[in-house]
Amino acid sequence: MRKISRRQFLGVSLKAGAATMFAGMFAPTATSVMGLGGIAHAADKKISPFTFAVLTDAHLYDIPDHKFDAILEKGVADVNSLSPAPDFVLYGGDLGQSGKEAELVKGKKILDKLKMPYKIIPGEHDYYLDMGKAWRGLFGDEHWSFDHNGVHIIGMNSILVDDFWTMAELTPLERMGRMEELECHQCGLWGVHEKQLDWLEKDVKKLSPSTPIMIMTHSPLWDYYPRWNFQTSDAPEIRAILRKFDKVMAIHGHVHQVVYNSIGNINSAGLLSTSWPWPYPPVELPYPDIRMNRVDPGDFEDGLGSHHIAIAKEFDGVVNYRAFSDLLPENVKRGVKL
Amino acid sequence: MNNRRFKTLTTAVVAVCTLATMFVVSNVQAKKPFSGAEAEDQVNMLMAAVKRGDDLWHNPKLGTNGLACGNCHPDGSASNPHTWPKYQTNLGKVGTLREMINWCISVPMLGKPLAPDSDDMIAMEAYAMYTHRGVAIAPAKDEQHGAVPVVSGPGYPNADSGNR
Ligand code: HEC
Ligand SMILES: [Fe+2]
Ligand SMILES: [Fe+2]
Repeated sequence: MRKISRRQFLGVSLKAGAATMFAGMFAPTATSVMGLGGIAHAADKKISPFTFAVLTDAHLYDIPDHKFDAILEKGVADVNSLSPAPDFVLYGGDLGQSGKEAELVKGKKILDKLKMPYKIIPGEHDYYLDMGKAWRGLFGDEHWSFDHNGVHIIGMNSILVDDFWTMAELTPLERMGRMEELECHQCGLWGVHEKQLDWLEKDVKKLSPSTPIMIMTHSPLWDYYPRWNFQTSDAPEIRAILRKFDKVMAIHGHVHQVVYNSIGNINSAGLLSTSWPWPYPPVELPYPDIRMNRVDPGDFEDGLGSHHIAIAKEFDGVVNYRAFSDLLPENVKRGVKL
Repeated sequence: MNNRRFKTLTTAVVAVCTLATMFVVSNVQAKKPFSGAEAEDQVNMLMAAVKRGDDLWHNPKLGTNGLACGNCHPDGSASNPHTWPKYQTNLGKVGTLREMINWCISVPMLGKPLAPDSDDMIAMEAYAMYTHRGVAIAPAKDEQHGAVPVVSGPGYPNADSGNR
């Protein structure tokens, strides 16, 4: 249904000129607030190498001195200690566990200890108590883009589901409770939905195909295990919009594990959380060698970590998983090409 | 498998079965087969235990730090019920599935262990086993196993699957 309506909609908007309809969405974004570049078009320029760091999935509880607080603190300290210092940090969603403002406030306080600017997207755990109100109040736009050293970097909210709560007469707390379960069987598949697809299309329209693109979403842009929303329902549309580019790097949270895929011009890597690791779902991995080891449940830092991503001159990327315990096979320890 | 050995084995099995059949034919059956309604009742009782287990696996009240089993074991995956009993390093001995369930309640969730023979514990096991139905029993096998793949719904027959 959605795909059809999207295509119909696109057909109309191309003729009618959607620019005016959506102009408001492109007002100065958080880019300028962060001071990350701000040059509109990176087209055809060689990039100057840089590194950035990624943290994701802290799942903070509104409980004082919870063990996950300390692990996010550890992630932040780890990123602050990196050499070379990352130019910026991306945060991949699920900062809180139950969508409470107190969780997000606590998380922001810890993330604000980062020595470099950071950009953040929401995860389902941040969102479904108040439909993102508290999150937006603290962090601003749910989707954004900025340019850095010649790379165009995009963040989007990929966890939008269709309304399953009104008909079922669920309270916001019940709605959030359902979404908190990975295997929620009433919530349905999520995605970025129409408005963000339109935004993305417009965002990359003027960029030349040689522009290096980096995109972060909470969930993977490929069908991994839909049962756990290890997917983004409109990933095919996103991939179509990004198809014109020579190369796209994608990173995603939500899966709490090392996982890799390559589809067309897009290479994507899943990220470690700072809360708990997830077992691999009952499907074959597209790249079975790129994975993590089993986790010792007696070691609360096992399965968790931060990430340092290096971008070289020809837009070659390497994800360095920084596991907090002995988690990674040698090939992954050496870094995963993105 | 060695083919000749397999054949010998099959022959032996057939022989034993034949003997058993003769025995049954010449004697009164120990137990009458269940009627359709009885069998259905029994399955329903199991499914109620599975549902109760599902609720418990997703209940943070088993612990004290907000976590539920389901946080880390979606669909009961990585509990590997088909591999128990086995030596488990955290238990430090050969232990049972229910001992490991209690270990995970006590350590990652900071909760109070369940009585090993309680209805709650039986329900916990029922859910773990049902989500791994059909997986070959493999004591001590060192593997992390996912649950039986589920496309939608709770993953087991359940009349009110709309609610948890
Ligand atoms: C914070 C995360 C976490 C929570 C919460 C948790 N576990 Fe675990 N548990 C693990 C990890 C990690 C393993 C190791 C998985 C593996 O062997 O690959 C594990 C292992 C197990 C195993 C043994 C698997 C094996 O083959 O050795 C069982 C059974 C188990 N958990 C049951 C439970 C139950 C029941 C609960 C809830 C009462 C629970 N767990 C809560 C993280 C957790
Ligand atoms: Fe998460
Ligand atoms: Fe998530």
